[in-house]
Amino acid sequence: MSVTREEVRKIARLAELDVDEETLPVLTEQMSRILEFVAQIGAVPATETAKPFVPGPDAVRFRPDEVRPWPLAFGPSELAPAFRSGFFLVPKLGQFEQEG
Amino acid sequence: MSDPGEALASAKAAADRIVRAKRLNASLTPSKELRQSLTRQAQAAHPSGVLYGMPVAVKDNICTLEFTTTCGSKILEGYRSPYEATAVAKLKAAGALIAGKTNCDEFGMGSSTEHSAYGRALHPFDKTRVPGGSSGGSAALVAAGAVPAGLGSETGGSVRQPASFCGIVGIKPTYGRVSRSGLVAFGSSLDQIGVFGRSVHDAARVLSVISGRDPRDSTCEARDSLRLPTVPESLQGFVIGVPKEYFPPDLAPAVRRACDRAIRLLKELGAAVREVSLPHTQYAVPAYYIIAPAEASSNLARYDGARYGPRFDGAVDVGALYRTTRGEGFGPEVRRRVLVGTYVLSSGYYDAYYRRAQQMRALIAQDFRNVFDRGVDLLFTPTTPTPAFKAGEKLDDPVAMYLSDIFVVTANLAGLPAMSLPIGRVKGLPIGGQLIGQAFLEDEMIEAAYALERVVPAAEDT
Repeated sequence: MSVTREEVRKIARLAELDVDEETLPVLTEQMSRILEFVAQIGAVPATETAKPFVPGPDAVRFRPDEVRPWPLAFGPSELAPAFRSGFFLVPKLGQFEQEG
Repeated sequence: MSDPGEALASAKAAADRIVRAKRLNASLTPSKELRQSLTRQAQAAHPSGVLYGMPVAVKDNICTLEFTTTCGSKILEGYRSPYEATAVAKLKAAGALIAGKTNCDEFGMGSSTEHSAYGRALHPFDKTRVPGGSSGGSAALVAAGAVPAGLGSETGGSVRQPASFCGIVGIKPTYGRVSRSGLVAFGSSLDQIGVFGRSVHDAARVLSVISGRDPRDSTCEARDSLRLPTVPESLQGFVIGVPKEYFPPDLAPAVRRACDRAIRLLKELGAAVREVSLPHTQYAVPAYYIIAPAEASSNLARYDGARYGPRFDGAVDVGALYRTTRGEGFGPEVRRRVLVGTYVLSSGYYDAYYRRAQQMRALIAQDFRNVFDRGVDLLFTPTTPTPAFKAGEKLDDPVAMYLSDIFVVTANLAGLPAMSLPIGRVKGLPIGGQLIGQAFLEDEMIEAAYALERVVPAAEDT
């Protein structure tokens, strides 16, 4: 399954990832090669099935619905690139306003 | 060891050894910071702990309070976690000393530790080769004798493959044996913290300490810590399966010879060895490279320059901020996998790729169940098709790199415990043999490894 440069651009937009035009040809070629390689799972008949596999405990363990304090060494204000009055600061939401 | 003076001496000696091993680019912690922290930790360590004074190097995708956690990525450069991983907390409670953070492929994505934003790590015996990956830094430090044990993590063989390349022991426990709290997520249904040791005993006792229930990880089974088995006199009563699919015609001849010798030794130890079949093995790597990138594309969505990590500024709006930060912050392999993951989950391709891969995962897990249901206790295979490869050899061909994981990804897909131990050498390069056990029966796997380790001439060329 090959992908085109335009498809890679579209997927990059979905993944919120800038891809520069210089690397696009190599990236497209490598993605095509990876997708061709993984597509070989299609060779196994879809009728061949097994019980769905889920790793980990057989059942979800429910916990009491209560707030459990988890003390952190420091708060989000020290982690975030920009933080003020309890909020993370980001540039304007221009793109979303236009799309909305 | 129970004397604080000995712990302090152990800390200083470990710091000296790690600094001397600097040429390997295996440790990401600056020397001065490492020395100061190890001294402080030795002074505060619990003398009654079973690992008192033992230095343990920790892969840089496992959160620590003492050191930064960058995951080998520019997007987390300088990041300090506000909490530590449960495995790290358990190590410290047992008196161990966290001996700095180790180099790795970015977010665990790679098989050579060449995909690190902080430069490639070197093989401890041959600087032109790779130490394996993604936990190559921990493996190289243990193999170089800088630390007796290290933590790594596995999503698809990232402990066993470098253990095999570096000639040490690497154990990946059953999914759910060790808490994932504080392990930076890559592929959540596959990720497990694993251990490296210079001997089976060193690795097993560290695993025993970090295992067990944790209310902070709902996928961690509510079980007690792993109990260490004793070293057995023989392997009488063990049935060991040898899956034919793991011995393809193109297997490196030296690897085949080392495995044949190990199988002969297992028989001499009293084990019954029989050939078995795991018919869907050839589809494991393709299934893995759909499921793991799909999960990664979701897990790595959080790195956007808003809540933590560096921000690559200059964006006119928030969407541009996300795209620029992620485009600049992720390296080429992570970008590739995020894109592949997004593609296989996208409308029109989900059924052809992701759903089929999940079906394949179920078939691979069923293959193992079928073999174990027929009375086989353990499986023995080569860990890797070849010894450590040359640096740069597979960098331009992602699929060739992925295929070096062919014998290790199956245990991650099926959630089973597996380990690699040295079974020989070729031209001085180590060769690893793999044992795969049944879920939560690590004790049986370790018992067999103890027995094999005692008799196999691991340092001899085959």
